[in-house]
Amino acid sequence: MKTKFGIILSIVLLLVLSACGQNNTDDSKPPGEKKNRKNTNVASLSIHLTNDLLALGITPAGSVVGGGLKDFLPHVKDQLINTKKLGPAADPDMEALLALKPSAIYMDEEYGGKDIDKFKKIAPVHVFNLDEGTWRDHLKKIGKLVDREKQAEEFVEDYEKETKEVKGLIEHELGKNSKAMAIRVTAKELRVFGTARPMGPLLFDDLGLIPANGVKKVDANQPYQVISQEVLPDFDADAIFVVVNQDDQSKTAFKQMENSPIWKGLKAIKNKHVYVIPDQPWLDYSAIGNKIAMDQAKKIFSKQ
Amino acid sequence: MKKAMPPDAKRAAFVSILFIVISIASILISLNTGTLPIPPVKVIQTLFGYGDFTSTTVLFDYRLPRILITILAGIGLGISGAILQGLSRNPLADSGILGLHAGAAFGLIIYVTYFHSLNEKASLFIPLFTFFGGVLAALFIVLLAKDRFKGILPIRLILVGIAISAGFGAVTLFLSLRLNEDTYLFASRWLVGNVWGRDWIHVISLLPWIFILSPYAWLQSKTLNVLSLGDSVATGLGAAVQKKRLILLVTAVGLSCASVSVTGSIGFLGLVAPHLARRLVGPMYQYFLPLSGLIGLVILVLADMIGRSVFAPNSVPAGVVVAAIGAPYFLYLLAKTK
Repeated sequence: MKTKFGIILSIVLLLVLSACGQNNTDDSKPPGEKKNRKNTNVASLSIHLTNDLLALGITPAGSVVGGGLKDFLPHVKDQLINTKKLGPAADPDMEALLALKPSAIYMDEEYGGKDIDKFKKIAPVHVFNLDEGTWRDHLKKIGKLVDREKQAEEFVEDYEKETKEVKGLIEHELGKNSKAMAIRVTAKELRVFGTARPMGPLLFDDLGLIPANGVKKVDANQPYQVISQEVLPDFDADAIFVVVNQDDQSKTAFKQMENSPIWKGLKAIKNKHVYVIPDQPWLDYSAIGNKIAMDQAKKIFSKQ
Repeated sequence: MKKAMPPDAKRAAFVSILFIVISIASILISLNTGTLPIPPVKVIQTLFGYGDFTSTTVLFDYRLPRILITILAGIGLGISGAILQGLSRNPLADSGILGLHAGAAFGLIIYVTYFHSLNEKASLFIPLFTFFGGVLAALFIVLLAKDRFKGILPIRLILVGIAISAGFGAVTLFLSLRLNEDTYLFASRWLVGNVWGRDWIHVISLLPWIFILSPYAWLQSKTLNVLSLGDSVATGLGAAVQKKRLILLVTAVGLSCASVSVTGSIGFLGLVAPHLARRLVGPMYQYFLPLSGLIGLVILVLADMIGRSVFAPNSVPAGVVVAAIGAPYFLYLLAKTK
């Protein structure tokens, strides 16, 4: 019986092994089929830098995907149909990157870290610290690198123009010097965004809203802080932006919160100044992300 | 030639050679698998130093270190499982079930929290941290599973192990959750057996543990044979039961915890490999211990290959692939031993 088992096992293994081998030979197309597109054969190892590149009219040949989504961000997905997915930013697919033979690699310092030599071996690497400066600075820096400085300037100008408009709409709706805060409802916790990216610069710098009490106390190096519902009234916000995660549990959590007496007692609720916004593009701190968010804000506040 | 070998030894030699061949085959196939297709001929060319830039980079920088890690860890987990099953005289023993991996995870989180930002050389000490975590878990298990009169009770060993495993796992996740999101993600990926070690430094950190402890365990085959007969028989045969058991336990902890330090908590491998080996060549340790290591190697190399290729571009942790095969086998064993 033992002999039989051994024989069967080895046969099965051999079959499995040979099957695997065959698949591989089938896939062996010559690499480098893609034609080198001048200047635009770049790889981006940050979803935000990908969207900055898109803003300049450059479609990266390869880009990492959103870690949780396992896909490109929804608001730019249709622009990235021909872009190769390079896995999540925290663990990019090195082989796919190498296969692209990119002319340059754009990466976020946060994820590059110690391994930067690995990437330098493949192509010149441009490292960005996304916490430094705003997306305008990143966009202009990229513009310089790819010789599209003019596009970068235009994009920023366009954005500032729209921002001014939206700022007017908001002032009209909320009054001058109104205090705002942004929160995010997830299945397990309630978060308040601080003044750091992604929400801080958009609301408080661009739209000129004043951070509600306590928003400034959130660690400036962290995007958010977990709070309990009970402290919401202490923020005394005139307007609240609410990001609700897409999953059902988070939606249920938000519904429960909406029915709580604390929520109903909030000043912003009473004045109907609560705005539910989608996580994307609002949390995508990039040129395109903020531009689309601004478009949405314009819609929200012109409706009122 | 000497006298004909005993049939057991002959059989063991045959099966071992067969598995060495299978191992080499699976390593070659694994080397050939990846996002970037490289023809088999080129793989062999590159291995002998005649590759171009692309194939050399892919093979030597990306694939080979990872495969070597799964090879070493597979051997380590297979052998440690074999030792633990003998020591506990329980066919359900495995370093994961006994809670050693959870202990290792605890050690790893301490490393990640306080030393991860240090320079690359610090990676060499990772197995040391997981080892001490594992020893800590083993200490708890032995203390709690010990009966004052009867010594360590095999049945209790497993139950206590499961409890310790859950406890340490909870503490680890809690700690990592309190630290920051990245550490938490890392820990939760690690706990399902994600081969995260990708660099030569991780190979080097793992190498001495496996190269020293595996031959040592094999040399102790006779002791293991005797110990698996039960304490009273073993004592009667003149073995220093308590002392030997302690040394071998530490060996098993060293092998398994060093292995999982870079591969993540791979469950069931230490359970399945010794079982298959025992079925193929019988219960004598001198025969089935090395085979158990080889089977561990084959399973882990193939599991990691499947995990990173079949579900591409999203990779599945090797531990999940192993568990997908190992869990049904475990249930089958449970049903059969009743």
